Amino acid sequence: MFKEDNPARDIKSAETIIGASVKVEGDFTSDHDIIIDGEVTGNIRTKSNLKIGPGARVKAEINAKNAYIAGGIIGNVTVEEKLQLTSEASIKGNVNATLLMMEMGAKLNGQCHIGDDSKPEVLSKKVEK
Amino acid sequence: MYLYIHDNFLSAKRYESALYRIENRLVDLGIKGRVVRLNVLKNMSEVVNDGIRQGVKTVVVVGDDSSFSKIINIIADKDVVLGIIPIDKRSKIGQLLGVPPGHAACETIAQRIIKTIDLGLVGNYYFIDSAIIRNENTLLKLKAFNIGTREPKSNQVSFNNLGVLSGVNTKQLSVNPTDGFLDLVVEDSESLLSRNKATSHFRFKELTVECAQPGAIITVDQVAKLKTPTTVQIAKGKLKVIVGTKRLFD
Repeated sequence: MFKEDNPARDIKSAETIIGASVKVEGDFTSDHDIIIDGEVTGNIRTKSNLKIGPGARVKAEINAKNAYIAGGIIGNVTVEEKLQLTSEASIKGNVNATLLMMEMGAKLNGQCHIGDDSKPEVLSKKVEK
Repeated sequence: MYLYIHDNFLSAKRYESALYRIENRLVDLGIKGRVVRLNVLKNMSEVVNDGIRQGVKTVVVVGDDSSFSKIINIIADKDVVLGIIPIDKRSKIGQLLGVPPGHAACETIAQRIIKTIDLGLVGNYYFIDSAIIRNENTLLKLKAFNIGTREPKSNQVSFNNLGVLSGVNTKQLSVNPTDGFLDLVVEDSESLLSRNKATSHFRFKELTVECAQPGAIITVDQVAKLKTPTTVQIAKGKLKVIVGTKRLFD
């Protein structure tokens, strides 16, 4: 059900496509969908959906509305709504999202915060005691 | 007042009947004007400047895509409307602007649907369709980021306003000449054959082009060849052109 609902997964064409043969360095900001199959170093920020393909190598801080990740990322990932990691995905960094779906085999090394609240629920209960 | 310019290749005998039909149709539609046939002694720039001095408001070029591309640099900074009459159905610019070939174009000229479209600018040279660099290790510098190739190999980098001559304006990637942006497309040799995911696409207003090999060539509208490093930018709303109802943009 989640798969079908994630708009980032179904992007076929986008205003920005970083193909497999291309390397981008710097701060990349957009209001529209982005597809990455190449290499990016720096920052990626979009108000819309982000799809990172299996061959992609990304060393960047990422901010997006929805994200579908099948490539390798070194950096923190912040997703406003849905984040989907496929079995080929690899993230070295912290993850923030409202909803997360991870396929078996996906690698995530870092802190993970999922949900609407700014603080994890378990931590806030401890404070009450 | 109309000025009709026939490009010099039209002096060949095989175009006689087509030009005769065009001239007759213009008379029928009541939009006859001064006709100038270019030759080795008469160039397009002189003819247009003379025409403007005499009060010409509409310049119509009869020719092919190369003719239309040449006229752009002459009239881009002038207050005239451009019309085109493609001599045959091979004109891709004609198709994009919705202008049919031959004497059928005269009706489009008579209808005078005028659109203001963007042009691209490489250095000081305007282009209507695209500028292309082939097989170079190219670095593209935008304001906030740089774009390069992962491994130096054969590729094609194109900067598109219409994108029909460069072949990038497809159903998958719609290039719009009225959106205030140019479309950068990087294709490697594999994607040129298969249109696979190696194709990259960015929209931009201005960038600097540098090639690893000094003096590498950038081909503009398949007509002019300019040297790199150079800048490529959008010239928004620079050209007023007569279009048909079947044009491929809004």
